[in-house]
Amino acid sequence: MLGTYFYHEIIRRTVISFGTLFNDIYIRHKDSTGDSISEMKVPLAYGPTQKFLARIEQQAELNKPVAMTLPRLSFEMTSIQYDATRKANVTQTFKASDGTNLKKVYLPVPYNIGFQLNLMTKLQDDALQVVEQILPYFQPAFTLSIDLVDSIGEKRDIPITLDNVSFTDDYEGDFSTRRIMIYTFNFTAKTYLFGPIAESTEGLIRKVQVDVYADTNRTTAKREMRYTVEPDPIDAGPDDDFGFSENWEFFNDSKTWSPTQQKDI
Amino acid sequence: MALNPFFLQGSPGEQRLVQDLINEQLKIYGVDVIYIPRKFVRKQSILREIQSSKFDDNFAIEAYINNFEGYSGQGDILTKFGMSLKDELSIIISKERFEDFISPFLEDSDDNEIVLSSRPREGDLVYFPLGQRLFEVKFVEHEVNFYQLGKLYVYELKCELFEYEDEVIDTTIDEIDTQIEDQGYITTLQLISSRSVATADAIISTGYIREIFLNNDGYDYTSTPTVAITSAPYGGYNASAVAITTSRAGVYSIESIILTNAGAGYTIAPSITFSGGGGSGAAATCSIETIRNGISNFVVTSNGTGYVSSPIVTITGSVGTGETAVAKPIVGLGQSISSIRIANPGVGYTVAPTVTIAPPTTLVGVGTYLYNEVVTGSNSGTTARVKSWDADTKILKISFVDNAATKGFYPGENIVGSESNAIYSVQSYDRWDLYDKYSENIEIENEADTFIDFSQSNPFGTY
Repeated sequence: MLGTYFYHEIIRRTVISFGTLFNDIYIRHKDSTGDSISEMKVPLAYGPTQKFLARIEQQAELNKPVAMTLPRLSFEMTSIQYDATRKANVTQTFKASDGTNLKKVYLPVPYNIGFQLNLMTKLQDDALQVVEQILPYFQPAFTLSIDLVDSIGEKRDIPITLDNVSFTDDYEGDFSTRRIMIYTFNFTAKTYLFGPIAESTEGLIRKVQVDVYADTNRTTAKREMRYTVEPDPIDAGPDDDFGFSENWEFFNDSKTWSPTQQKDI
Repeated sequence: MALNPFFLQGSPGEQRLVQDLINEQLKIYGVDVIYIPRKFVRKQSILREIQSSKFDDNFAIEAYINNFEGYSGQGDILTKFGMSLKDELSIIISKERFEDFISPFLEDSDDNEIVLSSRPREGDLVYFPLGQRLFEVKFVEHEVNFYQLGKLYVYELKCELFEYEDEVIDTTIDEIDTQIEDQGYITTLQLISSRSVATADAIISTGYIREIFLNNDGYDYTSTPTVAITSAPYGGYNASAVAITTSRAGVYSIESIILTNAGAGYTIAPSITFSGGGGSGAAATCSIETIRNGISNFVVTSNGTGYVSSPIVTITGSVGTGETAVAKPIVGLGQSISSIRIANPGVGYTVAPTVTIAPPTTLVGVGTYLYNEVVTGSNSGTTARVKSWDADTKILKISFVDNAATKGFYPGENIVGSESNAIYSVQSYDRWDLYDKYSENIEIENEADTFIDFSQSNPFGTY
């Protein structure tokens, strides 16, 4: 029943879009005089991965000299939930163009995708530097314009809402365990999922032709004037800035236009 | 009831003997580890953290390895932050040996850097040569072998693998220092050491665009509009031009129109139109010269290398009562001259003039950068430490970049090594870390560029 294959990579795109918000965040350290001595871009990656891949990539040399490097940012998708508040009539369609053909697209289904961003640092001050670089942009949402479906160039504004921030700082206890500092940010991305996109039988209208008759009785009346209009240039797309070329023709040859044969007979 | 007075329960001589026996046992059954004290560079008050540290001393000391069946701890685990190695190590060192051979040196150090010298300190590093790994002292147990003969003779150092951030490790022992050669945030300087001069020829003709007049600079041109010039008659060459936009107080408009090709064979002045760029209202006209020769086009015959800024271009040729042409070279990728635009095509040439492009500023390229040495940008003043230097590709990997004021290194400036005195010129500086096996920042950025509309620009990352 559901067997039409399609895959727009919308969820993957939403994941990447979420990640790109946090891939250019820096931490600085200073010396005793207050001068900056080191700046680091905080490494970011999608948390879940194949175990064997993590091992062979991140621990190519088995005898790694250090435990890990910090700071690090990690994010992952945590939930996918239907959003009834943005519900639209899914039987409605709209037309979109891929540049040459018209496509018939059903209205997308609203889904909320939950994300968790985690930050691990050695120092509280490092964590605060990152937190302060993130929080002011979410009030509580930051909106991204994402081209969700390539084939129809469908750009949607996806608000990414910061739901809450929490952190753990295990500084108490005996000295056999290390202090671990992790900040956790929970976000919700309000995205849309598109169903299959059908080829439309309709094409882009590139030429309009109007024949004018002297009488309403078309069986006896013949067309006497023809008005045609075409976009200029002829290969202009719906989004281009283009003009029109118009043409008037007058006839007295007692012929009529045959839509099936596409000529006057 | 009091102790039996007929026994000593540990005389100084007996205690001395036990300490000597322990010291000897450690020298027989132990391994040499390197004790590396942590020096405080900056202590953050209130939050009570050492924000910056350095490890630039080393002390060899014999230690007995308590872990006879391998490292303790959780081993290698996969966390949401990638691979984390939780290996732990417990070593025993002689109390006397530490106090006699390490403490005096620590006492002589700067009091701000070393705040405690009488005993091994938590936070210091121990290099374990068998595993070639850096361990951080987590806890110093001083009461093992509980008061034998009334005294304590050893310290047990409970260690775990070091979590590295941006600490300077410069102990002068290569085996230790190079352990972190691939660790941390590493950026890339592409350096160059050679240069070559670009060359170009001028083509002269009549019927070329003599001058473009910008009659209306338009508004809202947030990006560069396309300039269209009507075609030349049959047998001629079409002219082309680019628009240069400017902005002031949030108002965007066209600043000027520069010819990339003045064309040839025009008999009447062509019309000029603008499209795209998000704006409107711009208008321009032009005049043509149909009798005397001027420069129609520059052909770059050799792009040269090592150009970091536009060189001076001299056009030499007789123009009589005319006017000498003015060229505007464009520096493209790879520090080469990608094209030469025509700021003024001149008038009155009878033969094609000679085009002379000034050589690039003097480039230098000598020496071999040393691992961990500090390098400095000659113009920016930015400093960094060398992670590695590839003399063939001229790629210098650096870390600890001080970006406070300058945001990195400038193309064209010289990078000087503080110890090696090596010096090369900067071709480009890449702030992405291309070597961290965890980081996917650049991959995420590249993927997102294909479908995110960042016309609002990414606000993140501006520290």
